[in-house]
Amino acid sequence: MLPALDTPRRLPAEVDLSLLWSALVLLLMGMVMVYSASIATAEGGRFTGHQPAYYLVRHGVFLAVGLVAAAVAFQVPLNTWQQLAPWLFVAGFVLLALVLIPGIGRDVNGARRWLSLGFANLQPSELMKLFAVLYAADYTVRKMPHMHDLKKAFLPMAGAMIAVGILLLKEPDFGAFVVIISIAIGILFLGGMRARLFAVLIVVLVTAFAVLIIVSPYRRDRIFGFMDPWSDAFGRGYQLSHALIAFGRGELFGVGLGASVEKLFYLPEAHTDFLLAVIAEELGFAGVVAVIVLFGLVIQRAFVIGRQAVALDRLYPALVAQGIGIWIGVQSFINMGVNMGLLPTKGLTLPLMSFGGSGILANCIALAVLLRVDWENRQLMRGGKL
Amino acid sequence: MMRFKGALAHKFAESPILQLRLPAWRSRLMALLILSCFGVLLGRSFYLQVLNNDFLQEKGESRYRRDLEVSASRGRIADRNGDVLAISTPMKSVWAIPADARLTPEQAKQLAQLLEIDGKELARKLASDKSFIFLQRQIPPDVAERIAALKLPGIGQNKEYRRYYPTGEMTAHMVGFTGVDDKGLEGVELAFQGQLLGHPGSRSVIKDRRGQIVEDVGSIKPPQDGRDIRLSLDSKIQYLAYSQLKQAISDNKAKAGGAVVLDARTGEILALANWPTYNPNNRESLSGAQLRNRAVTDTFEPGSTLKPFTAALALEKGKFRFDSIIDTAPGRLTIGKATISDSHAHGLLTVAQIIQKSSNVGAAKMAATLAPQEMWDMFDAVGFGQVPRLGFPGEVGGRLRPWKTWRPIEQATMSYGHGISVSLMQLVRAYTVFARDGDLIPLTLTRAESPFVQGVPVFSPQTAREVRAMLEMAVQPGGTAPKAQIPGYRVAGKTGTAHKLEGGQYANKYVSSFVGFAPASEPRLIVAVMIDEPGTGRHYGGDVAGPVFSAVMSGSLRTLGIAPDAPLQVAQSPAAKEKL
Repeated sequence: MLPALDTPRRLPAEVDLSLLWSALVLLLMGMVMVYSASIATAEGGRFTGHQPAYYLVRHGVFLAVGLVAAAVAFQVPLNTWQQLAPWLFVAGFVLLALVLIPGIGRDVNGARRWLSLGFANLQPSELMKLFAVLYAADYTVRKMPHMHDLKKAFLPMAGAMIAVGILLLKEPDFGAFVVIISIAIGILFLGGMRARLFAVLIVVLVTAFAVLIIVSPYRRDRIFGFMDPWSDAFGRGYQLSHALIAFGRGELFGVGLGASVEKLFYLPEAHTDFLLAVIAEELGFAGVVAVIVLFGLVIQRAFVIGRQAVALDRLYPALVAQGIGIWIGVQSFINMGVNMGLLPTKGLTLPLMSFGGSGILANCIALAVLLRVDWENRQLMRGGKL
Repeated sequence: MMRFKGALAHKFAESPILQLRLPAWRSRLMALLILSCFGVLLGRSFYLQVLNNDFLQEKGESRYRRDLEVSASRGRIADRNGDVLAISTPMKSVWAIPADARLTPEQAKQLAQLLEIDGKELARKLASDKSFIFLQRQIPPDVAERIAALKLPGIGQNKEYRRYYPTGEMTAHMVGFTGVDDKGLEGVELAFQGQLLGHPGSRSVIKDRRGQIVEDVGSIKPPQDGRDIRLSLDSKIQYLAYSQLKQAISDNKAKAGGAVVLDARTGEILALANWPTYNPNNRESLSGAQLRNRAVTDTFEPGSTLKPFTAALALEKGKFRFDSIIDTAPGRLTIGKATISDSHAHGLLTVAQIIQKSSNVGAAKMAATLAPQEMWDMFDAVGFGQVPRLGFPGEVGGRLRPWKTWRPIEQATMSYGHGISVSLMQLVRAYTVFARDGDLIPLTLTRAESPFVQGVPVFSPQTAREVRAMLEMAVQPGGTAPKAQIPGYRVAGKTGTAHKLEGGQYANKYVSSFVGFAPASEPRLIVAVMIDEPGTGRHYGGDVAGPVFSAVMSGSLRTLGIAPDAPLQVAQSPAAKEKL
């Protein structure tokens, strides 16, 4: 259970190296693939100024900013995060509300998800995922004595999540909504909330999603496209059918880096939501397996680190670590599932890999916090103090 | 098991001592849940990429694999000496993908100017919701290059060919023309479509969504250029025929006309001219009258040009001899209720003189000795009533009614070319029996391989020679067409002047014609000229068509370097005398 203590001959590492390397490989592979996927659209697009490296340069800057932010975040003790958590959550809420105010929020393709900062656009829903982890963990720890009590433990959280959910659905950002709800429920579940309640909750949520999907034509369209992309392959099923073709073309080892045809204006959002399809085409099944295994490693490490923290009686870090695992896990699963036609198409990026400044920034900070939990664990296990 | 553990944990959670510990099974369960979802992703990915990739790849190919046509050029048409009459020159067509063609107003203006279309028209085309449109076809290469240099998004070019006819209206009816899609529509272009047509090849490419080729997958079929055609036509003779015909029609204020020059040894058509004609390079205002290749599509009552056939048949059947005397006085002959007449009363004439003076009564009296079936068989044997099948569109066979329906008056008028209709092409071909030793040869539009052709005998060589002598007399003083004479050559021929039928009645309109050959001692060329509705009052074939014949024939003989056979006139030249 505590492998670091079982190997006395070697000096224990300061942080979890397999987690660190998995994350770094995903980030770097993401950058390469973003460049490959975007090169044609960047060269062919007018607003990019026909610069082939338009997205690469920006993604590189985002990564640099993300890594600096991660280095800073790594210095922040979990105690501090816990103290800041409610304020961050409130700040995230305010940002989400600001997005919806006409004139402040930026409209792209009918969705209002961005705040213009002048030099870049900020997507508050990406940050909110991180804040939701930090806040839900803090909330759960505070309410731990009352976890069995529906009114005291569940309803306030449910209220907060409904408020955030309404803002997200207004944008609309259904993907972020699903991720944040999953984080909140997951952390409550880990925090020991009644199992029976979860059964009820799952039924209620499934029904609620079903209703939302049936009521909103925008989401219903996406659902039908997903059920059978070939029936309307040039209309609703266009994007998914091209993603599936990319997978089919990739075979075992891919058509080779840079050789994707789908990225040549066929597959929309190739460098963001459908990055995995380009990976599948260029690097084949082998590339997809690598991505899935690396994500699996990150998530598995997150849960292991969480359980180590539990063993050390550090409940808040434990919940934060596992919350991050849930976040990365749920979001990457949904994104990859969408790419493969297992799930309805919704606007979710592939964590750590897809193009997008706010997403990369939030992911980097989250991983820094995760590594910090691990680092603190190791300090305590060696008998040190924080 | 899980349920049991869950229930247990639930109880522990309620215990104040353990409530601060997070239940590890929940963490494990959740991690397992997420990782098994990833397992599902692995399975799905394996299915898509390894098991079911055929279906998906096929879908992909149908979206971006394209078989491109590799254009093949159409064969050239050249005259017998290799001078080009029709050639395909490379051009460009300019197309647009309207969705991608986002042009600035400045770019749009430049493009419209280069394409020579209205700016509004261009804007309307680019606003189309079609995925592909042609903006302009048949753009010259230099203009196309300037358009390409603008590097406009969504605007592309295809290679295509434009058919160009260097000799223009002069050879229009012979050569014909093609449509935009390289399909022969008229003339030789249509008749030899199968040989001239290039067969485009194809190669398979992968295109991006904007139509740019990103990968050449391979060639499926190499392009096959069309085969060149060498026509029997001689440009110089064609020019003579065309210009002389045009001049004669203008001089005689005629409505239309045609001229054909034939090589009597090979059946090669050396010239085929019609008026009115058109410029095949610019067919914007083209009328049906201009388009008609009259020499093959229009029939007329040939008139006296048929008399030699009647005479030949009468000689062949032994009814008359060359010098048999027939009384044509008083220049009229009544058969049943109808009367036929000569323009001048001649009295006693030999068979030869009947041809020379062109006596209708004489011809009718000869015909009266012949059975209708004999005459019909002869007309049929020289090709009347049959479509010549040269391959031209709208070729006609003329009218030759079955002999069983002939009344005596009809047989009589047919003997001098009324009540029967032929095209100029049929007439010129029929005269091969006199220009040769009685055999009829097929005509050809292409250059003949062999200088001699064996025909189908119609008359005996003896008969043919006798009729040839009669035809020579017709051109000499005392004949109907002294204007058809050519200095230095012996010429044989026959005039034709026929009333035109309008609504079943003979109107005061004429078709003047002349068919003849030279040198009469050893005929080489046959020339037939037809002038439709001469309008100056002169309408006799000898006056109207005769001079055209003379000019065309003499020019053609000299062009081909055929030795003169009238030595008396040659001897008058001192230079020629020295050579002798």
